[in-house]
Amino acid sequence: MNDNAIEIRGLKKSFARFQLGPLDLTVPQGAIYGLIGPNAAGKTTMLDLLMGMGDPDAGSITVLGLDHRRDEVAMKRQVGYASPETDYRSWVKVKKLIQFVRGFYPTWDESYCQKLLRDFRVNPADSLTTLSLGTRVKLGLILALAWHPKVLILDEPTVGLDAVSKKQIFAELFAAMNQEERTVIISSHGLSELERFADCIGMIKDGRLLLEGATDEIVERYKMVDFVAENETVLVRREGICLQKREGDHCRALVDIQRNGLESLAARGARQILATPVTLEDIFVALAGEANP
Amino acid sequence: MSEKKSAWVLPPISVAAGPLYQQIVDGFKRGISEGRLVEGAALPSFRQLAGDLMVSVITVKRAYEELERDGIILRRQGLGTFVARNGDDRSRQIKAERAEELMRAAVREAREAGLAEKEIADLFHRVNTKEKS
Repeated sequence: MNDNAIEIRGLKKSFARFQLGPLDLTVPQGAIYGLIGPNAAGKTTMLDLLMGMGDPDAGSITVLGLDHRRDEVAMKRQVGYASPETDYRSWVKVKKLIQFVRGFYPTWDESYCQKLLRDFRVNPADSLTTLSLGTRVKLGLILALAWHPKVLILDEPTVGLDAVSKKQIFAELFAAMNQEERTVIISSHGLSELERFADCIGMIKDGRLLLEGATDEIVERYKMVDFVAENETVLVRREGICLQKREGDHCRALVDIQRNGLESLAARGARQILATPVTLEDIFVALAGEANP
Repeated sequence: MSEKKSAWVLPPISVAAGPLYQQIVDGFKRGISEGRLVEGAALPSFRQLAGDLMVSVITVKRAYEELERDGIILRRQGLGTFVARNGDDRSRQIKAERAEELMRAAVREAREAGLAEKEIADLFHRVNTKEKS
């Protein structure tokens, strides 16, 4: 086994209207990996494939050195998974559901489960059919956290939550992620939270990986650059430059300064160059909104 | 020292305000130069501060490494991280304040001696150039 907790290589899956991949993704051991991307980018499809829901057309997925199909049971003993789409209603009561899930995991920690139920204000006596989306999401997280899995896969853990609950979930998740040697993939639109605590970011768009790396390196690699250019097309039609706005000869673009240093912009005729730092959200908005070539 | 326990809290940081590690570095520098974190005071552990600020441990590590490089903090294997003795912003600021105080006293003395504005300025320049060489 190497230093990567999760390795996805050449993953492909075709649907009638969507194609995922070919996709390569690498999650280092012990990292918190933020999976981001616009809606319908393929994040959930990828995580579903990882969890054995559906067969890939090609490629491989390895988790802690285990093949996700061949060693499925062994893998699932180490991987906690939570998705807002899980339907629990057939267990009727929260308590019954917990009893059922508990049976699968020798490492189930009942006192931790009780603590999470209290912290998240989920009542074990409640009926599953009437739970709000927010409470269902919280319940899914409790079930995934309570047995201390080595790997956590969280698909949109804050969807449908108000600002207070969102903050609380992130705080609890962060505590859980931080206290143990654990690898986490978290797909989320909470970009400012991810920028803070995700060690790595992977951005997916149209089924392909657009960007992957250490969060701080990604954020520092991009700058929002204002400049004046009579003929901006020479500058803008390049890899790593994404035009945001143009008024007369004033342009604003998101620039990957690793690929296009500011000197190279100047050399190609840009004047009055002013570069400002960006947030992960700025990068996301620029790259997600960019039309495909 | 009881100050060691004083609950000094790093100001909140935000992704909108530039690199996170830089905000941590600046927060500590400010705390130290304002005398709220004194020599020998223990800094929180990586994990503790990461948890408090909800930032990645890597971010905290990077901030501490920079502070250590600048000689503002010291890391002692197995013991933790502490505010260093010399070279910190605080001592620099204190020196600047002390210099101002001494200059004020010098100006007072010169006035009392009946020196004109121009002569005081000339005196300052003469001393300053002498000190440089």
